[in-house]
Amino acid sequence: MHYPWWYVPHLTSPMLIAFIAVVHVLVSHYAVGGGLFLFVETRHAHRTSNREYLDYLHRHARFFVLLTVVFGAITGVGIWWTIGLASPLATEVLIHTFVFGWAMEYVFFVIELAAAFLFLYFWGRVTPRTHVLFAGVYAFAAWVSLVLITGITGFMLNSGNWPERGGFWNGFFNPQFAPQVLARTGGSLLLASMYVYFHASICSPSSALREIIGRRSARPALLGAVLIVAGGAGWFANLPESSVAALMKAPALNIFMAILFAVTVAVFAMLYFGPYRNPAWLTPGFGVLFLMFGIVAVTVGEFVREAVRKPYIVHNVVMSSNILASEIPGHRAAGFLESGPWTRALIAAKFPQVMDGTRIDERRLLDLPPPQRIEAGEILFMHHCNDCHATDTGLSAIPHVTIGWAPEMIHDVVTSPELFHHYMPPFAGTPEESQVLAEWIESVRPPFPAGMRFGPASAEGGE
Amino acid sequence: METVNPQDLVATLGSGGYPAAPWFLMLFKVLGFTLHAVPMNLWYAGVLLAMLLQAFGGEQARRWSARLLRQMPVIIAFGVNLGIVPLLFTQVTHYRVFYPATILIAWPWLSIIALLILAYYGAYWVAHGLRGGETQLRGARVLAGWLVAALFIAIGFVFANGFSLMTNLQDWPAIWQRTQVAGAVTGVAMNSGDPTLLPRFLMFFSLAFTTVAVHMVFDAGALARRESEVYRQSAARLALPVHVAGLAGFAVFGSWYIFGVMPETSRSALLAFPGVIFAVSTALAPGAVAVALFTLRGRPVSFGAGVAVAAMQVLVLGLNAISRQIAQSAELAPHLDITAEPVRWQWSPMVLFLVLFVAGLGVIAWLVRRAVLESRAMESQSNGSPGRG
Ligand code: HEC
Ligand code: HEM
Repeated sequence: MHYPWWYVPHLTSPMLIAFIAVVHVLVSHYAVGGGLFLFVETRHAHRTSNREYLDYLHRHARFFVLLTVVFGAITGVGIWWTIGLASPLATEVLIHTFVFGWAMEYVFFVIELAAAFLFLYFWGRVTPRTHVLFAGVYAFAAWVSLVLITGITGFMLNSGNWPERGGFWNGFFNPQFAPQVLARTGGSLLLASMYVYFHASICSPSSALREIIGRRSARPALLGAVLIVAGGAGWFANLPESSVAALMKAPALNIFMAILFAVTVAVFAMLYFGPYRNPAWLTPGFGVLFLMFGIVAVTVGEFVREAVRKPYIVHNVVMSSNILASEIPGHRAAGFLESGPWTRALIAAKFPQVMDGTRIDERRLLDLPPPQRIEAGEILFMHHCNDCHATDTGLSAIPHVTIGWAPEMIHDVVTSPELFHHYMPPFAGTPEESQVLAEWIESVRPPFPAGMRFGPASAEGGE
Repeated sequence: METVNPQDLVATLGSGGYPAAPWFLMLFKVLGFTLHAVPMNLWYAGVLLAMLLQAFGGEQARRWSARLLRQMPVIIAFGVNLGIVPLLFTQVTHYRVFYPATILIAWPWLSIIALLILAYYGAYWVAHGLRGGETQLRGARVLAGWLVAALFIAIGFVFANGFSLMTNLQDWPAIWQRTQVAGAVTGVAMNSGDPTLLPRFLMFFSLAFTTVAVHMVFDAGALARRESEVYRQSAARLALPVHVAGLAGFAVFGSWYIFGVMPETSRSALLAFPGVIFAVSTALAPGAVAVALFTLRGRPVSFGAGVAVAAMQVLVLGLNAISRQIAQSAELAPHLDITAEPVRWQWSPMVLFLVLFVAGLGVIAWLVRRAVLESRAMESQSNGSPGRG
């Protein structure tokens, strides 16, 4: 490991990324789709001189700015903060590869901000033409920032031939780029309509106006849903084989995919029979329910997107255990502990007797007395496995997933985790290291659950 | 772990190399920080001063306070965005020390996000209470104002911790030892053992007051066209003592920092040629601004004077950013050689970025100009009087 490892009890630190990412995505997609909504609808309201609609749009714009410019923007910075803390190596690689992509995205952020403030604060103080122009510039800049960040997130899921060829554009236009731009654009449109329905139903303008809003915003929402399905198909078609296998295999992902499918069908039906055909249905209850559906779909979708990347953080480049895929053979020869500056320093300080000069002599690990071997094993666990497994209780806690395991099974899973589940990274250390890691797992593994019956009841068992 | 050599904790050299030459990356790091510092100073010391003047200031002082608090949402929006630039380039150039340092203080570092969201919404709420020319905060909003001031100071303190720890490798082993579980870092530390932390924090906080003072003058000259002559006159009078107070703090804490606690390597880099040029101008430049404020006092600030003083302050902050870079590089020199990294220029993305950067500024200027011109025209139409320029 190139960096120190941040230990977050029970949850594991990468889970923090997932949480912040989900709340961010829920708002940032609205920041894109909502911009388009404000552009198209303000233009329409100006053209039809609909005062009431303009007043509503003014109120919506305030809500929009308050939510996206503050919460949306700062949670976005928050993702960056957490990836730096929980996945420093991946962040390092991504920033060195795409720093100019981010810098360009940042330019569009600043344009977005300026346009959003001008649109809101100069409401009624500029000509309609200029007012609509502000919204248009905002919407365009927001969408471009979506495209720019998608180049990077797509790269993380499928890096294509970048590991061999490298290059900014080669990484940016990865196999996942186009499908994800499509899906995210669709998600922005759909989610924006959901926020609009939610806001309009609560802020209850007149029923005539609600009808206009319901009907007009149903069209982009339906288009968004179609784009999501098309983009989703492209996403699936361009997944690496390992991701498809994970989707097929992991029960949680099976369930998530089923939920995603069900929610999509429900949203289609609600949209069509609701706002599109019967705009009068746009009640607060409908608004809230519909937005909840959107939130569930996005949350589940993001979790699936994250989960199928395992065992990589950056596909074929950075392992979830915070080493480079290319480093695995070297680590197997030289040792996992030896190969990371922090683990090497730790071992040298704690167990000077295993050092051969400044290097760790991995063979000497086995000369340590058992309590110290277990301690060394825990260090290995922390730095090699804790990104997905909690130590005692919590997320996939290692004692829980090894209940009642025999020592040979533990030995096997430690030496070849990838053969148990291909979404675990291979063990990147020496046999001595896997030995002490196995000993630590044995020390925390609970016994087989008592009271389970496998066969006919015996006389003693009936009491 | 007391025996750990801090040098051994610098992260592994990356494999990719830099996407541009170090000078280019450093240029954007320093330029970006200068631009971040301008708005950041305004919320850092400005909200506190605005709340003090709400409580104890006269009518005109409260008027400035209300004006600043009303502008705060926009200032924060741009200031945060401008912070992204230096952070991006810091992570490119200094990843080997930046990530370890922030991981050591992970929870306080991450708390910045939560604190910032709170402070930001608080600032909106406070500004909302002052719309329509209101100058006096009332009720719970007063409390919120103080809370926002405290939150921003707390955030600034965490930043000071993060960036001082990034160069204070000496303390890494002890912090690690104190907060580790099986060698992994729990991230519940601060850089509290570092003698440079407090003077550095106080020095920058004092400097922020000088920027706030300049805001009074700039705002009165360039943005307060609707305010009375009396206000525009008193703004400059109020600015001078604020600036002098900030300047005094800057001198005291700056001397403590540089001559009292700064590591010898950084001090000698700052006091030897060519660093000394920047060190001396960094120390003297705020004085020049004070002189400018002194000559402006008691007169209504003109547009040109407001802009000129603001430009001077940007220069002050720019010089400060250069000096801190010299100190930072000197402190890290024994541990990190950023010129040793291979450079693989990413020409086309870089050029595209630069073009977009310039074009983006152009688009924004064009939009703002349109907004200002049209709103003035509409205003004078509805007033039936000729526009004021
Ligand atoms: C990329 C994430 C990841 C990493 C890193 C990882 N695992 Fe796993 N591991 C999983 C997942 C996902 C499962 C299956 C889900 C579950 O059972 O909670 C799993 C299951 C297991 C199981 C139960 C096996 C079974 O048949 O279900 C063991 C034991 C295990 N891991 C050990 C380890 C050890 C030891 C390491 C470190 C060398 C490690 N894992 C690293 C993701 C990971
Ligand atoms: C979340 C958005 C922000 C980002 C990305 C950001 C970024 C940065 C960066 C990169 C630096 C160091 C520059 C350098 O030394 O090269 C810095 C310094 C600083 N920032 Fe910000 N900043 C943000 C928000 C804030 C906020 C809300 C405050 C509150 C006061 C703040 C206060 C400071 C202070 C006081 C320093 C100087 C610290 C020191 O060196 O002692 N920043 N910021």
